[in-house]
Amino acid sequence: MSYYFAIIGTQDNPLFEYDFGTSKQGGDGQPRFSEQARHLNQFVLHSSLDIVEEVQWTNGQLNLKVIDKFFTNYISCFMTGGNVKFLLLHQPTATAGGANTTRNSTSVGANPTSPQTEEAIKNFFTEVYDNYVKAIMSPFYKVNMEVRSPVFRQRVAAAGRKYL
Amino acid sequence: MAHLGPGKAASSKEQAGLRYPSNGKTIYHRPLNRTKTAELSQSSFAYLFSEMVSYAQRRVTGIQELEKRLNLQGHPIGLKLLDLLLTREPPRSQTRPLTIIALLHFIKINLWTHLFGRQADRLEKSSNPDTPDEYMIVDNEPLVNAYISVPREMSQLNCAAFVAGIIEGVCDGAMFPARVTAHSVGGKEEGEMWPGKTVFLVKFQPEVLEREALIGKG
Amino acid sequence: MFVTVFALIIINKAGGLIYNRTFHEGGLNKISTNDYLVLAGTFHGVHAITARLNPLHPPTNRTSTTSSTAAAAAGAGGAPGTHLTRPDPPSGLEVLETENFRMQCVTTLTGIKFLLFTDTTQANVDLAIRRVYDMYSDYVMKNPFYQLEMPVRCDMFDRKLASYIREINNR
Repeated sequence: MSYYFAIIGTQDNPLFEYDFGTSKQGGDGQPRFSEQARHLNQFVLHSSLDIVEEVQWTNGQLNLKVIDKFFTNYISCFMTGGNVKFLLLHQPTATAGGANTTRNSTSVGANPTSPQTEEAIKNFFTEVYDNYVKAIMSPFYKVNMEVRSPVFRQRVAAAGRKYL
Repeated sequence: MAHLGPGKAASSKEQAGLRYPSNGKTIYHRPLNRTKTAELSQSSFAYLFSEMVSYAQRRVTGIQELEKRLNLQGHPIGLKLLDLLLTREPPRSQTRPLTIIALLHFIKINLWTHLFGRQADRLEKSSNPDTPDEYMIVDNEPLVNAYISVPREMSQLNCAAFVAGIIEGVCDGAMFPARVTAHSVGGKEEGEMWPGKTVFLVKFQPEVLEREALIGKG
Repeated sequence: MFVTVFALIIINKAGGLIYNRTFHEGGLNKISTNDYLVLAGTFHGVHAITARLNPLHPPTNRTSTTSSTAAAAAGAGGAPGTHLTRPDPPSGLEVLETENFRMQCVTTLTGIKFLLFTDTTQANVDLAIRRVYDMYSDYVMKNPFYQLEMPVRCDMFDRKLASYIREINNR
């Protein structure tokens, strides 16, 4: 599975983005997006913001779970208190999708809708949220500012490796 | 969405220019909850706040402007506290406030307890039918005003405008855009129980009420 | 006699009167504001003189001191490990007692003088004056609208002071 993670500010502006691949089932942590898909990912995430805006007022949870699907791309959303959105696009690797060994698999790396994957994504989001709160606690951070800290990036990468 | 630039190359370059604290610990290495129950000296806060008021006073011409500046000083604190206090909630009750009442309760209980060690004294809805968008949070003796005597010629001023700014930050952050102002309502007579009593008037923008009505229906 | 605290005067370090308040009518003669200013200035001068005029020998000549502290006090630098101490400056006039009242003066490190006029039988004036100083540091010094060395006009200070003195006087 390949992941594209982005933090979107309150004005629908990107604050942070990071793409990575699964580290489960012997994954090497590298994203397997085609060059074209890499560009498309941003559009896919952006278009799902409309759905986020609908869902956010009916569900008070921070974790809104999978909110959108675009072909094989699943989009999970986590909404912070300050209306900053964490969006995670996850795409099963094309070769794995067709093989019947993984079709009904519940493991994290293979099936985007299994409860295990949901739980893993929740843990990932929670850990990123912790670090995000630390980032905004900095007195030099103002709302909707890009998060540029390399330490934050490392932390997100570590959370990705740990859960996804 | 604009591309934020090639991630890895940029980050390694930034890393070279980044200065870590001498012990190698950045804000990300500190636990979020260690200071949850920590207290700080009221005196040091009083001196700091006193300087904040003097600082704000230095470049203003009127009381309204001074209150506006104090409000602006508080605003980012509110935005940040909203997220901090949510992370500190136990997972079960970790929900974003979706209604005005939920938001005001969050402010009255969570925010006040975090900032002042107790809840706000009262929460009221405006009884005037013309202003259904106004709510009031009452604090009998705001901590920020504990040592402040406002001179007679500035009697309109209430330095709790700073707290109003924090409240406004929380409301804005939670997508309930509002104007929050602080008003002194305590009597000046001798023997008055709460001479420093302050009302924080929260006036929500029309779109908030509109949405509230829609959510209520759905 | 219930009333024991008559009045409080605060004098800034330049000798200017920055606060005066009487707590009981009739305990003392009423004097005009101008007289208060003169009184403050005069007291300031007298206090300065009493701080200089010291009938006692300076502490360096005290026989009980060991040689090392004597050397330190004399400004010789002191041997390694000895504690360099500077004697407290003389505090000047502290108490003035008459037939009708007693006046206690406390000078703070920043040169502010608190003068408390009490009945001659009043006990624990030290404590009372200490509390007044506490209130001054709380409700005057932490007030962003107070300018140093200027007359004290702080409602909160007035209020707290009044209730504290009332408590003493009704005891």
